[in-house]
Amino acid sequence: MPVPGESVPPPSVPLSFLAAAGLGLSLFGLAVWFAADRIVTSPAHPGALAAVHVGMLAFLTTAVLGAAHQFTPVVARRPLRSVTVARVTFVGMVATAWLLPSGFAHGPESLVAAGGVTGAVTVLLAAWNLSGPLSVRGRGVPLAGLRLSVTYLVATVAFGVVYAFDRQAAWFPLLPHRVLAHAHVGLLGWLGLTYVAVAEKLWPMFLLAHRPRAREGAWAVGLVGAGVPLLAAGLLFAAPAVAWPGGLAVGAGLVCHLVSLVQVVRHRRRPLELLHGFLFASAAFLVVAVAFGAAAALLPVDTPTRTRLVTAEVAALAAWLGLAVIGHAHKIVPFIAYKALRARGVTTGRSGRPLLFADLLHRPTARLTLAVAAAGYLLAVAGAAAASRDVLAVGGATVAAAGVLVTANLAIGPRRAVRAGGAATSS
Amino acid sequence: MIDPSTADPQAESRREAALAALGDVWDPELGLDVVSLGLVYDVRAEDDRVEIDMTLTTPGCPVSEQLPSEAESAVRAALPGVEVTVNVVWDPPWTPERLSPLALERLGFRRR
Repeated sequence: MPVPGESVPPPSVPLSFLAAAGLGLSLFGLAVWFAADRIVTSPAHPGALAAVHVGMLAFLTTAVLGAAHQFTPVVARRPLRSVTVARVTFVGMVATAWLLPSGFAHGPESLVAAGGVTGAVTVLLAAWNLSGPLSVRGRGVPLAGLRLSVTYLVATVAFGVVYAFDRQAAWFPLLPHRVLAHAHVGLLGWLGLTYVAVAEKLWPMFLLAHRPRAREGAWAVGLVGAGVPLLAAGLLFAAPAVAWPGGLAVGAGLVCHLVSLVQVVRHRRRPLELLHGFLFASAAFLVVAVAFGAAAALLPVDTPTRTRLVTAEVAALAAWLGLAVIGHAHKIVPFIAYKALRARGVTTGRSGRPLLFADLLHRPTARLTLAVAAAGYLLAVAGAAAASRDVLAVGGATVAAAGVLVTANLAIGPRRAVRAGGAATSS
Repeated sequence: MIDPSTADPQAESRREAALAALGDVWDPELGLDVVSLGLVYDVRAEDDRVEIDMTLTTPGCPVSEQLPSEAESAVRAALPGVEVTVNVVWDPPWTPERLSPLALERLGFRRR
């Protein structure tokens, strides 16, 4: 029987993931900058693959895993199976995020295989650990979605390991549609579904929105969850009859997700704030991604144009998820830091009032982060769509700057609160 | 609902002291105290015990473990030697209609 007050892991667990993800965002931006030429001319080139995997592993998966280690026990009201395993997962994630892209970028090839194996072990540990709280019955759409999304994380890594060894063993040719199957399970099944599910808990809470019905969220999770395996199988086996229903289901689910956002905003009982700037910008990229995906599937274009459209779709999906992660980090990190500061006896903010989450970040910097991150992703998507190396490179550098801003802001805020709390105590 | 009726003046005094202490417990996300937010449903004082029923804006709220603990500490500090129990209750669920006029104004909230 879980003891109230003990279901959440120590703050150092999620904060270590989130701090590493901040660094990962900057490294991702720099990797895009360096590999811009490869990304626009040959998206399957090892240099391009390295950049993409820095974004997927060092930034997005690290951040989402860290948040999941905090969020899942809170919602399920049951702790992780092991805090030690959570810490091992963090180390494994950092190792994977370094090994795999390094192997892609400059070899040796065995580094890719080593990264794949490390990633597989890490993800299996995370899945086992999260299965404790995820095995709680009920608890609504967020936990139902997380159960599926963690399953898709394991599937994504299974794809990755097979592909990593295939590079040496040459069991089958790594054709673009097979790589896309792997990418879409990861982007939509793991990261996308996690966000779609968790948003159903976080959005109403942050906006004090009590919707009369909240069916859109359940439909979103159900449709994305059901559509991803079909889409991935269709892409994997180049079977349009399977891929199409899957793609349509995922598309419909993402539309439900956007309708859910609109409903939450309509029924809000708080003014809109910085988080919602991130959410709206993120949602705009989702619309762009769906449009590029549909264009790539429907338009009678030549192969280079279709490749460009798909690259832009993947970039827009990364922008959707990236802006959502950065925005929510501005809520999650202050909350976790708040608990840690309270435990250290810091109870007042700079104004002398009780310590608030708002005391733990610098709002003008957060607004600047939104502007810089949105601009960076916009340039990256535009660069990918137009096959412009220079635009993509500038986009990457701008995203890297956003990573520095968000990491510095969220790291410095709690330290300032400690100083202010100490000053208030001494006075 | 906070029941003001009590026959025992000492119990009433403790109830008021507990409420005053809860007025200093702030929701760190919303920047308002838990009484103004309508999160305190009932405060009962009897003999050397004070029992508080409070809720949170939503189950699984990030402060679901922190805020009741802070409330209990605040009331204990205000009423030394008194046994304090905080029950987190979900029925009836909290709705924004429970916000005080001050909270409504501070949140820029629109009454529906």
